[in-house]
Amino acid sequence: MDCNTHDTDVFNLVISGVGGQGVLTLAEVLSRAALSENHNVRVGEIHGMAQRGGHVVCTVRMGPDAYGPIVDAGTAHLIVGFEPVETLREVELVRPDGYIIMNQHIQHPVAVSMGKADYPPIDEIISSLRKFANHIFDFNAMSLAESAGNPQSMNMVMFGAIIGSGLVSISKETALATVAASFPGRFEEINTRAFESGYAATSVLKW
Amino acid sequence: MVKAKVLLEDSVGKKVLLLANEAIARGVLEAGVRLVALYPGTPSSEIGNSLYQMSPHIPNFYFEFSANEKVALEVAGASAISGARSMMVCKGPGLNVAADPLLTLAYVGIRAGLVIVVADDPSMWSSQNENDSRYYALMGNLPLMEPSDPSEAKSMLLVAYDLSEQLELPILFRTTTRVNHSRSGVEYGPIRDRPEYVQFEKDPLRFVPVPSVARKRHPWLLEQMEKARSISESTELNFTIGSGELGIITSGVSYNYVLESLKILGVDAEVFKIGVTNPLPERMICDFLRRHKKTIIVEELEPFLETQIRSFAQHHSIDVEIYGKQQGFFPRVYEYSPRIVTTAISKIIGCNTPINWDDIDERAQSLPDLPPRPPLLCPGCPHRASYYGIRAVTRGKAIYPSDIGCYTLSIAPPLETADILFDMGSSISTACGIARVTNQDVVATIGDSTFFASGLPGLASAVYNQHPIALVILDNRTTAMTGHQPHPGTGITGMQKHVEPLDIEKVCRGLGVEYVKTIDPLDSLTSLVAEVRELVKWVRENKRPGVLISKAPCALLTVAERRRSGITVPPYYVDPDLCTACRRCLDRLACPAMYLDSETGKAVIDETLCTSCGTCVYVCPHKAILQKEE
Ligand code: SF4
Ligand code: SF4
Repeated sequence: MDCNTHDTDVFNLVISGVGGQGVLTLAEVLSRAALSENHNVRVGEIHGMAQRGGHVVCTVRMGPDAYGPIVDAGTAHLIVGFEPVETLREVELVRPDGYIIMNQHIQHPVAVSMGKADYPPIDEIISSLRKFANHIFDFNAMSLAESAGNPQSMNMVMFGAIIGSGLVSISKETALATVAASFPGRFEEINTRAFESGYAATSVLKW
Repeated sequence: MVKAKVLLEDSVGKKVLLLANEAIARGVLEAGVRLVALYPGTPSSEIGNSLYQMSPHIPNFYFEFSANEKVALEVAGASAISGARSMMVCKGPGLNVAADPLLTLAYVGIRAGLVIVVADDPSMWSSQNENDSRYYALMGNLPLMEPSDPSEAKSMLLVAYDLSEQLELPILFRTTTRVNHSRSGVEYGPIRDRPEYVQFEKDPLRFVPVPSVARKRHPWLLEQMEKARSISESTELNFTIGSGELGIITSGVSYNYVLESLKILGVDAEVFKIGVTNPLPERMICDFLRRHKKTIIVEELEPFLETQIRSFAQHHSIDVEIYGKQQGFFPRVYEYSPRIVTTAISKIIGCNTPINWDDIDERAQSLPDLPPRPPLLCPGCPHRASYYGIRAVTRGKAIYPSDIGCYTLSIAPPLETADILFDMGSSISTACGIARVTNQDVVATIGDSTFFASGLPGLASAVYNQHPIALVILDNRTTAMTGHQPHPGTGITGMQKHVEPLDIEKVCRGLGVEYVKTIDPLDSLTSLVAEVRELVKWVRENKRPGVLISKAPCALLTVAERRRSGITVPPYYVDPDLCTACRRCLDRLACPAMYLDSETGKAVIDETLCTSCGTCVYVCPHKAILQKEE
């Protein structure tokens, strides 16, 4: 039987990090922004066991052909990594023409702290990432979050970086409005600042 | 999580981004459900979490976290028999706990709608096995429905209540993790009123299944299932889309993967999506099989549809090739993905996969070895201190029966205090079995919520049969793993009413345990170790169960409470001048907030992760760990 393979009309985004870093919140805020611009959006989340400081992956799929929440190997347009090793752990998901945005700040897995495993050197991580994709942007999102006022706002730095990269069709205005609506009180200000610093980091990129 | 306010909004036509679990909670409002009872279990947890947030704001509504799933189903079943729409929610293994009332409920039937939501967990993201709960529908003669996504989870739920009332039978509503934990736009419908009270009408010759009654009810049940079969033949929940030579039959989340695969492959097929998966629409399926020489069956886990559909084909002498698990095109383990479905379809129809997955897999092999990052007890978790104490006293030589909860994570080094586990409450009963046939020390651990859920009968039995087990109840004041739901020991109900909590110490004494003590594991590790030593010694000497309650709130609760009230506690740090790089803190305690400085080899505390529990202070022999001054 003939099959003429198709590129489907969907944008696949993968967010990879460590439980507690705010991966789930980023996926939710991003998707809410997407929905308010009337995109068909599907989010896949990991709950329970996996959240306890373990590796966490969230998938966000936008576009008319997004049915299920899963993003398979070789199909992600963008991988957003909250931590170097966790970025590399999911790298096979990226398309050959895909993009990677990575936070350089390291969070030590306990196996490394206990001396039972080694943390790969950062340049080895980057060169491994390059085997899968050419467009890689890495920056210290943690220090941007700290200067925004709270290390916990790192996920909003990453949100800003996603929107700033211009890869996702969500406007900056919508994104900012969603940030404002998602965080009450003094956290709104911190998170908005965090978003802006992430946005500034990627909006100047010429990939 | 979406806020209760959003889920409560009375705005028909509004489209909101919801988790399927939140969509089900919204469906409770739209279906006019009067009572929901459940015991939390991931991947179903957010159904209860949402209802808990909503419960005080819904008029004529009752919500409870029951002690366990059997209790929850008995509460909900009785309420539905009384005439109020009701719901019970659990995860796959939870339905096993409720299996006893479930099979009899089918015999007596209900008066107002009853839906049992069961969330299965293919790939075991947070479960101890891959339960395919659909078989309860076959064994129990219960109608079964399977939604594919958040939006369908809500719309199908509304149909489930109508069907339940039409047939007077409880409906099994089965989801899987990738449905429960996926999020998409869901459109709101109108909210239905709920009655304040209903009238229980007596009918003991129906609702009391003594053998003579049960004998009459079984044929009735089979008759109802025949009616259900004709409904299944005509419901819009069973439908076909697309056209082509190839036929595909699917249900649940796999439906999405089928649609994606066909799109990726650019292949035409007629897809039969089955929403009511018991009883199956036999006539529709046979017609479908006759239309397609080749039919592929796509379903996760067990060949539930496949086996039945093959028997239909045989029974009706239909000339069709059926492809599925039985020839090995699809696996019987773990969840599916578009890749698995695409690969199988392309093999069956004989074409290439669009993506060279073998090449990607090969390149992935060349990546450097990555340090694993399994889930762990959180920084500041009081269980870490308790397990440190248990291990220190028994030098790792006792047997450590474990139970269901965060604390099972103590299986990881260096704590390694989980040796055997079956299900909720099994730590106590397995400890009894081990203590009877070995002469090793047995130190079992169980959480507070699990203790109330299934620990009580085990402990009663241990006391009566005089089993020499040391039991440490890790009371962190909540059901932590599933998202901090209350239980009978917490003092708050599902309706957010403050009540007198059950005192675990008194409960143990009431059950006849002679040795019961309560300690705070974060008070001092030295005294914790002394208490564990005394417990183990007492059990050894008295040949009876002894209980130590190690009571301190979950670290996540402590941190949230501090944040709410604006309290800051100075973090701990390692003084590099005092640290000798002996690594004892990391090798024995391994708090995730600590790591080794790769240059000096000395320990460091990551201030952003440290919750200032102070446990590590006692572990350092050189007094190098200190608390910062304010
Ligand atoms: S136990 Fe104390 S001395 Fe030894 S590595 Fe840890 S902090 Fe340093
Ligand atoms: S005080 Fe020590 S054990 Fe407690 S969270 Fe901080 S580093 Fe971990």
